[in-house]
Amino acid sequence: MLRVVLVDDHALVRAGVRAELEEAVHIVGEAENVGEAVDIICRTKPDVVLCDVHLPGGNAPAVIAGVVGRGVTSRFLALSVSDASEDVIAVIRAGARGYVTKTISGDDLRDAIQRVAGGDAVFSPRLAGFVLDAFSADLGDTAEDPELDQLTPREQEVLRLLARGYAYKEIARRLTISIKTVESHASAVLRKLQLSNRNELTRWAADRKLF
Amino acid sequence: METVSTTARPGPPRTTSEPSGSPLWQVPQVDTADRWLLGVASGIARELGVQAIVIRASFVLLVAAGGWAGIFYLFAWLAMENAAKVSSAPYAPQPKGQTTAQRHIGVGLVVLGLLLLLRLLNFGFIGGVVWPAGFVFVGALIAWSRLDADGEGQGLSAAARVLAGLAVAIGGLIAFGAIQLPFRDAALAMIFTLAVVAGVAVVAAPSLLRIGSDLDNARKDKVRADERARVAAHLHDSVLQTLSLIQRHADDPATTSSLARRQERELRNWLYHSAASVGYVRLSHALNDMASQIEADHRVPVEVVVVGDEAFEAMTDKHLEALLGATREAITNAAKHSGSHKVDVFAEMRPLSDSDSVVVEIFVRDTGAGFDRDAIDPQRRGIIESIEGRMARHGGTAAIFSTPGEGTEVELSVTLTERSNEEEETT
Repeated sequence: MLRVVLVDDHALVRAGVRAELEEAVHIVGEAENVGEAVDIICRTKPDVVLCDVHLPGGNAPAVIAGVVGRGVTSRFLALSVSDASEDVIAVIRAGARGYVTKTISGDDLRDAIQRVAGGDAVFSPRLAGFVLDAFSADLGDTAEDPELDQLTPREQEVLRLLARGYAYKEIARRLTISIKTVESHASAVLRKLQLSNRNELTRWAADRKLF
Repeated sequence: METVSTTARPGPPRTTSEPSGSPLWQVPQVDTADRWLLGVASGIARELGVQAIVIRASFVLLVAAGGWAGIFYLFAWLAMENAAKVSSAPYAPQPKGQTTAQRHIGVGLVVLGLLLLLRLLNFGFIGGVVWPAGFVFVGALIAWSRLDADGEGQGLSAAARVLAGLAVAIGGLIAFGAIQLPFRDAALAMIFTLAVVAGVAVVAAPSLLRIGSDLDNARKDKVRADERARVAAHLHDSVLQTLSLIQRHADDPATTSSLARRQERELRNWLYHSAASVGYVRLSHALNDMASQIEADHRVPVEVVVVGDEAFEAMTDKHLEALLGATREAITNAAKHSGSHKVDVFAEMRPLSDSDSVVVEIFVRDTGAGFDRDAIDPQRRGIIESIEGRMARHGGTAAIFSTPGEGTEVELSVTLTERSNEEEETT
């Protein structure tokens, strides 16, 4: 069973998530602020940290930064009601493997945790939309690193389907490719999102306070 | 301004507001309730505790004896108005003298003394100047009286007042001419009068300015208070209502979360897009509003993702209106009939590279029951009319894909031409 730490400042949310997950994963700890979270993650070294974006004492990126270099190999999945794109982009760029909203169903959440634990990327429709928007402007020849600064047509296609609410296996069927290929496209996009210097990414996030 | 009846004031305020050592002298306040001119005479009378007519008669007598009383009247008015505006405490006359007779005798003696003094010094300038100047002054006063008349019943209409003022003022000017007075003397008298008025202005200016800024501050405070009240009202109608609804539905997670989501959307829209209530400036606002309404009506979460909606021009385009109408129908169908635990809405606006037009595509997807198109009663117009017919009429397309048991997706697409915001996407 996967070992999971829950980080959220609302006890009710933690209780709800715990109830949804209890049968599928082993919840080894809970935390409600950045300090507690860093402590408990370093102590328990879970497989996956399910982390709210907004926390007292700093946000999710602060938690990720806090455990870096302390022998922790946990993977982070951001879970939030926040619609604010700069928060979402910030947490992904800090190193989270995915972002899902709190409206996600229990099945989808369990699936997302498995996926993140396996090293894959998890895109909620909203995150997929953000990424499409952020990479939408055509840089032409000015892209510093076309490899990182642009999405391939196939990646865009995958993201569009993700934004429309398709699950990986549905995308695979629709595009007649394997699920593994869908996963590798998603991981490639995540990597670009984290590593690209494309200044749209920062400017874009700052421009759009919401939605 | 607090006005108090002139005589026979009942006890309580007097005794309670002056516990000890009340001052013998205070600046009286103008008595606007009982006035002939500006209420100065009646104000003084009220303060002194004598009949207003006594003070009025004294003024007339003193003006006739030399004219200085007229100028004193003006000064007194300024001082009294000022005192009234600066002090916040309600005005109450201070007790003076023991009996009415004593007070009247006192007033009489003062007037007599002033009369004798003026006579003795031969200090009057009533002759050639005061009467005409008085006329002009009274004329101007009548014309201006709107300034301190607001809030009370106005006997004369504005036009009549101006006319009356002009008539009196012109009368005054004619009087100037009629009086046998050498031009040089008249000019000197005018200059003298101007000097006095200027002096009054200089003396009174700071207080008048302060009164002005006080009023200005009061206005600003009011604006701020109004804004606070508006915010409070909004929060009460929206957030507090929702919170109490949530408390009542605490054991029903679906209701609770849809209430919370709807409230969140509303609050965000209200905080950051107050323009949204007038006309939408972004496709995402229109879709989010739509989603929250449907969520509220059918208690199914509706997730909206919008890409590239910079170029959205507030609902001017009929095509767009049709598109939104069809979208609403599709979301409502999904929420109502599919049984899906959520509905995904994805909208994308994309400029076409070879022209000025923009393609808008909206996908509405659920993972619910799905349906077999052929099995649907042709009489039911929901899909055919509201979605496909509507889109076709506006040069758009609608495609519906459904697999029983797996869900339904509605794809809507329309091309908008003549975009108002061409540069935005081409750069």
